[in-house]
Amino acid sequence: MTTLVQTLIDGVALGSLYALIALGYTMVYGILRFINFAHSDIFMLGAWFSCTIAGLLGWAVGTPPTWAFIVVLLAAMAACGLLGFIIERLAYRPLRSAPRINVLITAIGVSLFLENFGQLPKIFGNTPTKMPALIPDIALGSFAGVRLSLVNLIVIVVAVVLMGALEWLIYGTKLGRAMRAVSYDTKTAALMGIDVDRVISITFVVGSALAAAAGFLQAAKIVAVQQPAHVSWVQLGLKAFVAAVIGGIGNVRGAMIGGVLLGLVEMLGGAYLSSELRVVYVFTMLILVLLLKPEGLLGKTTVEKV
Amino acid sequence: MSAALHVDNVSIAFGGLKAVSDFSLTLREGTLHGLIGPNGAGKTTVFNLLTGVYQADHGTISLGSQRMNGLKPNQIARAGMVRTFQNIRLFGDLTVLDNVRIACWSRTTTNTLAALFRTPAHMAEEAAIAERARELLDIFDLLPREREQAKNLPYGAQRRLEIARALAMDPKVLLLDEPAAGMNPQEKIALRGLIRKVREQFGLSVLLIEHDMGLVMDICERITVLDHGEVIADGEPSAVQRNPKVIEAYLGAPNEED
Repeated sequence: MTTLVQTLIDGVALGSLYALIALGYTMVYGILRFINFAHSDIFMLGAWFSCTIAGLLGWAVGTPPTWAFIVVLLAAMAACGLLGFIIERLAYRPLRSAPRINVLITAIGVSLFLENFGQLPKIFGNTPTKMPALIPDIALGSFAGVRLSLVNLIVIVVAVVLMGALEWLIYGTKLGRAMRAVSYDTKTAALMGIDVDRVISITFVVGSALAAAAGFLQAAKIVAVQQPAHVSWVQLGLKAFVAAVIGGIGNVRGAMIGGVLLGLVEMLGGAYLSSELRVVYVFTMLILVLLLKPEGLLGKTTVEKV
Repeated sequence: MSAALHVDNVSIAFGGLKAVSDFSLTLREGTLHGLIGPNGAGKTTVFNLLTGVYQADHGTISLGSQRMNGLKPNQIARAGMVRTFQNIRLFGDLTVLDNVRIACWSRTTTNTLAALFRTPAHMAEEAAIAERARELLDIFDLLPREREQAKNLPYGAQRRLEIARALAMDPKVLLLDEPAAGMNPQEKIALRGLIRKVREQFGLSVLLIEHDMGLVMDICERITVLDHGEVIADGEPSAVQRNPKVIEAYLGAPNEED
């Protein structure tokens, strides 16, 4: 019982991270119908920006104030949001009317660029670094052997707050209405007076900011930040992409559910079967979903038009 | 009478195909103007040129005194030229009300930040938009279904919703692309009344593409006929009907050999 509860907590915390990243994949896909492969690198940069910003603000040594993590989180989100805006403007917008495969290849190019540029000695360097301890590593309480750490609680709370805010943005504001309209039919949306380019820019900013939040939380959680081109970033990004597909790519609520579900499956499998096969569970789940419900859990079937 | 829309010698070619050549049209303020022609004559291409989906190779398009050439579709829509579609293009996943509210976008002034803080100005604006959208839905008998997804409406209702959505943008010129397509005779009769009614009520100038000649001849004050991308006739319905070129375009030349 103790193991189960502990695993569920860890699973939800991990899944929240997946969900935050998956949202960026799914939002961009929903509007532009392409997979932004550079998204996992925005996540990576979110972690690195958090680290750097915390260092610049002098919180790398000593005990930073309790509110420090909020400042760093927001700053990293703003930085990545800006970066997302620039990437869309420079790399993707000129290809707006090009075949989708060109955009896809460009996304891979942007991804490689960000990884390798980040490795330059003047930028982040090619060695791992330590994330300043903005969130003290304490347990909030132990109930019958179940440990809820402050980091995990913050991960879950921040993820829930951000997803709530996104949900409100999309379903409760006129900008959200415009986003849904553009996602449904870009050309008609333009003819109804919606500035499609602006909506796309905002989508990239929001998606990148969410990935940055995930990057911050990941760095705060595992303390070590791997070098920018490290394979673990790609793997995490890939798992988040799987989460988006499982939930139904293009569907925002699907990405949230897919992320949490994937985190749970991974942790439960790790706890009860074998912890070495964690990646296997993720992709087994992907295969199962693709076999049984190819459109994803909340996705809708697309009818091939002949 | 002044011109609501003035199109002067507009042409566009796709590769070697001249889809529309030297198309001119003057839509007078407050008139119902028909644009007819056989299939493939270039009518929908004209709509795409007017709304900025295609850019004309040469020629000018003016809405009132404002040049439309080079503007993006959303800018043209906001300037007051709005269209509906031959094949219905509603935002199917959105509710009926949201479809109309989206088009009210053009009359909003507050931004998302204001939405975040729920400023009084923003709340008042949202309320005004909702009220305006419901007014329009009421005119088109769609109010009872405002919460349904647009894709679940019956066909005729979807057509009406498209017109309601277009009107929500406060257009000066309304472009209707085959609004009666697929409607049964009763629906067509209702549509006639509706087009006349919105023209009066909203002070619109309407350019109408339609294949149903009965409808066109009945409600239009002026007609332009297009064939192979060129204007072959322009004038009052009765004159156009007797025009030999028009008869030829629709029925073939009388002396043509088999």
